[in-house]
Amino acid sequence: MGNIKLHTDQKYIEALLKNDTAVLKEIYENFAPKVVGYIKKNNGDASRAQDIIQETLITIYKQAREKGLQLTCPFDAYFFLLCKRKWLNELKKSSGKEVTINEGIVSVDDESVRFAEETEIFNAKHELFTEMFDQLGKACKELLKVTFTIKSMEEVAQKLGQSYAYVRKKKSLCIGQLTQLVQNAPRFNQLKNLL
Amino acid sequence: MTPEEKYELFEKSCGNELSINEKARLNKLFDEDDAVKKEFQLYKELHSHLDTNLNTENEQAALTDSLKKLGDNYFAKKPEKKVVKEAQKEDKEKVKKQIETTTTKKPKVIKIPAWSYAVAASVAIIFGVYFFSQSSPVYNDFATIPELSISERGDAAEMVKNAENAFNSKKYVVAEKYLSELISRDKNNAEYQFYYGISLLQQDKYSNATAIFKKLYQGNSVYKYKSIWFEALNQLKQKKYDQCAELLKTLPEDAEDYKQAQKLLKKLQ
Repeated sequence: MGNIKLHTDQKYIEALLKNDTAVLKEIYENFAPKVVGYIKKNNGDASRAQDIIQETLITIYKQAREKGLQLTCPFDAYFFLLCKRKWLNELKKSSGKEVTINEGIVSVDDESVRFAEETEIFNAKHELFTEMFDQLGKACKELLKVTFTIKSMEEVAQKLGQSYAYVRKKKSLCIGQLTQLVQNAPRFNQLKNLL
Repeated sequence: MTPEEKYELFEKSCGNELSINEKARLNKLFDEDDAVKKEFQLYKELHSHLDTNLNTENEQAALTDSLKKLGDNYFAKKPEKKVVKEAQKEDKEKVKKQIETTTTKKPKVIKIPAWSYAVAASVAIIFGVYFFSQSSPVYNDFATIPELSISERGDAAEMVKNAENAFNSKKYVVAEKYLSELISRDKNNAEYQFYYGISLLQQDKYSNATAIFKKLYQGNSVYKYKSIWFEALNQLKQKKYDQCAELLKTLPEDAEDYKQAQKLLKKLQ
């Protein structure tokens, strides 16, 4: 990855990671108006726009946190694309209402599209993983929570009064079960085709 | 190879704990069966997913709260409520005008009847009262913060006193700190958690408060119903009326806050 040239707008990604409210405020001031305008034109209102913006920023945060998102394109187009598609999805989900698509608001370059698509796939996977995690049995969920929040496996073993090898084995079985759940979910195959 | 053995190898690989032999065994498996290789890739991805997400719940909740506040501020600058108020004003004026025109349509009558003003005024009042009672209920009308009084236990006594004093004198930032310390020593203490939740809510740390109340109302402590009530108030404070109503409906009749909940429900409908 070494040599990619980061866009100066990477600062917005950093602000999400650091919960830096001064810069986050800039995001609202600089980029919200376009999103609000778009959503209002397409059967929405300001309060829905606020939700869409917040959800999109959280998705970007998650991707940055887990995958180390590195932006090489302007935040503007990338962010707008994500909000727009999220809104269109909601419209599709909530009703059979006619969806007016207004493409001409932002000049979209290929790179922004690529970034937005990556984020969308990340988000779809993330949702699937979270859903499947919820389907695990209580014992597995708790074991995984403990093993991943307390970093040292020795400490976990001590806490649970078990041997290190035993806890690791249990942990591996729980993640194995989760792997199976994800693999068997029909949505996973659709996602795989997108990759 | 049994699935148990396979997953154990996967896990060891994620933790960089494979011996040379095990590594060779795993690579051989991959060469022989592409499905295992794919399964391992997914396993690794889930491992990293869990690693990030199970560790960042609080961080994410804090970000969500910041965004909510920033969003509220940003969108408050051009509130849509104004439109409603304006519409109400217009309505009132229309009625007044109507009354005026009906009264002035009889131009030959010498005096404008004094009662028309009274009618106009009372219509305006009725409108006002109507719209006032229609307005959405607010958090402060319903939230009564209980007093914190914890029975003391050994060496935590001073910390408990501090928490109590801070909470009861409404210094929620300080109370949060003490209660969080107490919880770290006594993880399953529902009382600490409940008051910790309220301290968060009073500071508008909505998502963090939700996490606490949710854990409590899914559990079976004495704070089960109290937590439903406060989580409903949490939603109310964020103006999420639907979510608030859903929670209120789950309160059983013998809950302490049942009556208040019904009152609030009525207002929400």
